[in-house]
Amino acid sequence: MKFKDYYEILGVSRTATNDEIKKAYRKLAHKFHPDVSKDPAGEEKFKEIGEAYATLKDKEKRTAYDDLGSHLSGEAFNPPPNWAGKQSDRGGQSYSFDDIDLADFFASYSKGNRQTHQQSQPISGQDYELTTQISLEDAYIGSTVELNFTVQEYDNQGQLKQVPHTLKVRLPKGVTNGQKMLLRGKGGTGANNGKNGNLYLNINFIPHRLFRVIDHDLYVDLALTPWEAALGASIKVPTLETEVHLKVPAGVKSGQKLRIAKRGLPKQNQEHGDLFAITKIVVPTTLSDKEQRLFKELAEISTFNPRPF
Amino acid sequence: MNSLHLETILLDEQNEVSFQELADLSGFSNDELQLLVQSGALIPVSSREDSWFFSSHYVISIRTLSRLKQDFELEPNSLGLMLVFLNRIRTLEYQLNKQNNF
Repeated sequence: MKFKDYYEILGVSRTATNDEIKKAYRKLAHKFHPDVSKDPAGEEKFKEIGEAYATLKDKEKRTAYDDLGSHLSGEAFNPPPNWAGKQSDRGGQSYSFDDIDLADFFASYSKGNRQTHQQSQPISGQDYELTTQISLEDAYIGSTVELNFTVQEYDNQGQLKQVPHTLKVRLPKGVTNGQKMLLRGKGGTGANNGKNGNLYLNINFIPHRLFRVIDHDLYVDLALTPWEAALGASIKVPTLETEVHLKVPAGVKSGQKLRIAKRGLPKQNQEHGDLFAITKIVVPTTLSDKEQRLFKELAEISTFNPRPF
Repeated sequence: MNSLHLETILLDEQNEVSFQELADLSGFSNDELQLLVQSGALIPVSSREDSWFFSSHYVISIRTLSRLKQDFELEPNSLGLMLVFLNRIRTLEYQLNKQNNF
């Protein structure tokens, strides 16, 4: 078992009172709670803080933790003789700590103790939250993703263990970027007839080279030459299936949204979102002699003034 | 390998969850959820067979609220207000994301 210095994690002394421990926890929780903090490392840090607080705020667990003595953080150590028997009421039964995490031990410690006193109370499995990335094309046609993750499960001795899980999930048509999905009962396994936990899946799209996504609508930039914008044009626009011809009206401005109906992502109700082409007038940076001549001629004869001043 | 036939639901404005399911998923008691409805912070979309149904997007904010309540030991009276703020943040983040993508 590897040692974790819960006092050091919370930044308090080993003689800290419950109030001091609570204050330290609250201060750190405000800083690192994943629902509050934007720090990407916040979640892992908060897990440590929560683990330390859960152990030190509970009188029994704190005593058990203190009995382990003081070690360096991360140092492999062996608990004192009969520590497991004394702490988890196993009557001195021989017990291996080699592959047990300190957090798992204390998480199952209270539950384990209660089990012995309260006749195997059902324990619900943990909920998990995962994120998967899919391509826009896969979202369009519907796809299956394989999820590999580790869940905590109780073994026959009532100890929590990390168990690798693999799950294939069919993403229904109609999913869009940033959507969340609930998979009932696919989280951690419950113990003593407790319910299994749930799995929450965040679906993120891999950025596409052409299309941007808002809900079920797609957006594509449509570069136009000045003469296409002035005269109007029929332009081939890519979609997630085949190309379509888009009629660009004469006199179109930069930044206009031209709608191509029902060429977006499928919705749950069998309808489709739309595809929007966003116009962007692009001027050639180098001109041939003839082009230069023609532009000069246009400048001489045109009365158009785009400026209000 | 597990089966492909899973009980799945997209958490959005199109799908609904029952009062009991929302309670089970969030870890809130029925009384606590009822208080949130009474405070006007949690709004049912429909009522069937004497039970409330909610837009399934609430599962996300209600679970966050439940975590915050547990981790910060929040007062029950602050939960309604906090849910309103969580939903406001969610709406603003959505609008910001929309603007950035456009």
